[in-house]
Amino acid sequence: MNETVDHFKDFFYSAVRLNTEINYKTINELICSKAIGSYRELADMEQLKRIVGGSCELSDETTTRINQLIDSYSKIQTIANEYKKIADTNGISVVSCEDDNYPYNWKVQTGMPKVFYFSGNYSLLDQMVLKGSIAVVGSRNPSKYALYATEKFCSELGNKGITTVSGMARGIDRQAHLASVKTAGGTIAILAGGVDNIYPPDNKDLYNTIKQGGLILSEMPPGQQPLRQYFPSRNRLIAGLTDCTLIMEAGSCSGTLHTASFAANQGKEIFVLPNNIYYENAKGGLKLLEDGCNVLVSTDSVVDSISQALMYKRMTMGNKEDIYFDDKTETDTEDVGIDMLRTLAKEKPEELDDDKWKLLIKDMLTLNPLSADDINSAIQIPFYKLSKLLTDMELNGTVCQEKGKYSLTFV
Amino acid sequence: MASKPNVATLYSCFASGTDTTVSLIEVSISPGIPSFSVIGLCDSSIRESQGRLKSAFKSCGFNMPKGHITVGISPAYMKKAGSAFDLPMAMGILFASGQLYLPPEVKIYAEGELTLSGEVKGTPGACLRLKTVRDMDFDYRVIPNNESGSAGVADFRGMGIKNLSDLVSIFDENKYTETGFDYERSSEISQMLDISMLKGQEKAKRALLISAAGFHNILLMGSPGSGKTMAGKILSGIMPPLSRNELSDVYSLSELVEGEAARISEERPVRIVEPSVTVGKLLGNSMSLTPGELALANHGILFADELPLYKSEVLDFLRKPLEERKVNLVKKGELYSFDCNFIFLGTGNPCKCGQMYERGSKCRCSESQIRKYQSRISGPFLERIDIFSEMRSISGNDMASIYIGDSDSESLEYRKRVETCWQIQHERYGNGFLNGTFPDEDIKDLMRIPDKVIMYASEMAEKEFFSARGFTRALRVARTIADLNETDDVSVDDISEASLFRVKGALI
Repeated sequence: MNETVDHFKDFFYSAVRLNTEINYKTINELICSKAIGSYRELADMEQLKRIVGGSCELSDETTTRINQLIDSYSKIQTIANEYKKIADTNGISVVSCEDDNYPYNWKVQTGMPKVFYFSGNYSLLDQMVLKGSIAVVGSRNPSKYALYATEKFCSELGNKGITTVSGMARGIDRQAHLASVKTAGGTIAILAGGVDNIYPPDNKDLYNTIKQGGLILSEMPPGQQPLRQYFPSRNRLIAGLTDCTLIMEAGSCSGTLHTASFAANQGKEIFVLPNNIYYENAKGGLKLLEDGCNVLVSTDSVVDSISQALMYKRMTMGNKEDIYFDDKTETDTEDVGIDMLRTLAKEKPEELDDDKWKLLIKDMLTLNPLSADDINSAIQIPFYKLSKLLTDMELNGTVCQEKGKYSLTFV
Repeated sequence: MASKPNVATLYSCFASGTDTTVSLIEVSISPGIPSFSVIGLCDSSIRESQGRLKSAFKSCGFNMPKGHITVGISPAYMKKAGSAFDLPMAMGILFASGQLYLPPEVKIYAEGELTLSGEVKGTPGACLRLKTVRDMDFDYRVIPNNESGSAGVADFRGMGIKNLSDLVSIFDENKYTETGFDYERSSEISQMLDISMLKGQEKAKRALLISAAGFHNILLMGSPGSGKTMAGKILSGIMPPLSRNELSDVYSLSELVEGEAARISEERPVRIVEPSVTVGKLLGNSMSLTPGELALANHGILFADELPLYKSEVLDFLRKPLEERKVNLVKKGELYSFDCNFIFLGTGNPCKCGQMYERGSKCRCSESQIRKYQSRISGPFLERIDIFSEMRSISGNDMASIYIGDSDSESLEYRKRVETCWQIQHERYGNGFLNGTFPDEDIKDLMRIPDKVIMYASEMAEKEFFSARGFTRALRVARTIADLNETDDVSVDDISEASLFRVKGALI
């Protein structure tokens, strides 16, 4: 009985925050002036009346806002009931900052949500405290290279028990979740709207997978649509929940950079995947590197950074368990005298066989995706021959065609 | 006062849309209060002829006879319209009233409109009408002089007249001579854009060549200013000229729709349709049986510019004609079908900003915007496209060489290759079929595709290069490529080149 009442107060709080002018500042003022002991007391009508009754000194602004709340009290109550109904039917639970299981990483920072909602495997949050976590963010429209790297890093770090946290958007986010959901570390998605709101809708399959094997969080109450202005705040939560942030690919003005600046402000390490400097969609990430972020080359540096964060955490929390990371080796790649081939292609094209041409094409595609005509204008071979080469390469999986351009598949 | 009516009988023909009927025209003059009536479900364009006849007679020195004039046009149960009955009616009245000598027991064919001054003019549909009566047995065939082009195309023999008074020399002076007609072909092919203007667009050039060589439907998508519309104009220039029969098919329809404005040309027709086109305009009107753009593009090209801007239902109506190469219209329970054996050429932008195929990442469209833009062309419609090529804008150097460099006519050379390629295909299929249009589905043996190639192609299909329909389409394209190389068997190289021109992978 007690518990349900308590949780209703949490729903009520969310309804107050979304539907009245009462904001973080107002609540701070109320608590500082000892008008209320906890945000949960906002649900108490008697208490509210006492506050405006003049028992304590408050600014005019706060008083008017509390008065407004008293006027619309029944309306807010209906909304809170509505939230609760949606939460009950969809198996969504609520956690408050006053609960014991509130995430440690959020507890030690200011500005994190007082209540949040979740669906899925909550034990991931406990596991994270011991094993560490990474935020993986990047473009919604990434290059093959970034997708490949995301897949590699997330599955590798996941196998070491590190949890991946991301935003369930298209592109990098999706890849990060997919790569980590089946690993020991697991995956957590933080949504901008309510936990029951699948956005973007085409990630429905991913949503269901995460709901089963991972965890879905949101600071927004159930049923809330993901509005544009909620996304930056969501990014703040992703950065706040994790021990370090991996930027896989970021354009010069993308939301990924928001996440990076939140992480930097929270004192978290940022790793940026290095990319081609002529690639437009990677300019933002490269700028971060220029500003002094860590270069994401191997999982080792990420693991090091996480162990440091965990060490600090253990000092403050008291040691519970040793951290243990598995190790796995990677295969190496081949290197051929490309320069020699290039000159040969210009001077004696007839001396090159199909395999040499394929190497040249592969070399051209490492920079940028190119259309068949672009390749043709760079290496002068008859078009029918080029088409045969490209189809061959596509068939054995060296290159793939997307949006009319060929790019390397990195396998 | 029982006097026997004086009846003259002539033959003419009328075209209701593309449906032509030979009709019998009888004129009877009997004594009585002067009156003029035309019977046989004629509309006012025929009934108004009284005024034209009266004035034309006067201008040419004839008289409108006094008495009760009845003109009956059979078959009387069919609705008729048009002014081509003026001349046969006038001749009937002149014969019946004795102003012209009617040789006994002769069959006369006549058609043409009269002006008030007695001149004889042609009317639309002449080519179709003359084709219908070409092989019928007539002693006199009289047509307006300015229908001689149509008559030439229709291979019709007869005598052309300019004025009503020319009839005097034919019948009174017995100077009837039957001749064939020559027609002038306007040869404007030299003014076509040359394919060499598509510099730096090797894929599109190759795509156009293969498309022309095998009559394959083609879709070109690319950035604004990459030369898509130009490519459309180039395509007809690399196709061989119309044969005699094809020209007659093409001209008879265009003459019906456009009248005297229709050109007699060996150039293949290019029908350009706009995104605002309606289904009726494309398929034709089933009430009046006028052919639509699809039928008018027969033997040529249907060029749909800015394809993603079309309403999807309009495009979906194109699917059946593209498959069957026929448009069917139903009028009063009867089926009329028009051949529409054309190359469908579509062009458009790949996304809203149009820059998707550009080098680097100039495109500012989100994935969902691109998806939305491209989904306006339905999947089933894309399955009917054999050849796809993306086009990106060419760099500055290429631009200069288009206008400054050598302007040799590469199109002529391309056309020769296409011509040889067509000959090979005609020998294979007969009946004028080409690789893209041959109706049979079981093509493996006829097109000489070895098992090795089928295996290779099915390996591609497994990797989701094509759908089931796309699979046979790709085999046909491969056959055309083999024909261009003049090889007997389709090789693995041919199919792997064909797969480069598939739609999948280039669009989302």
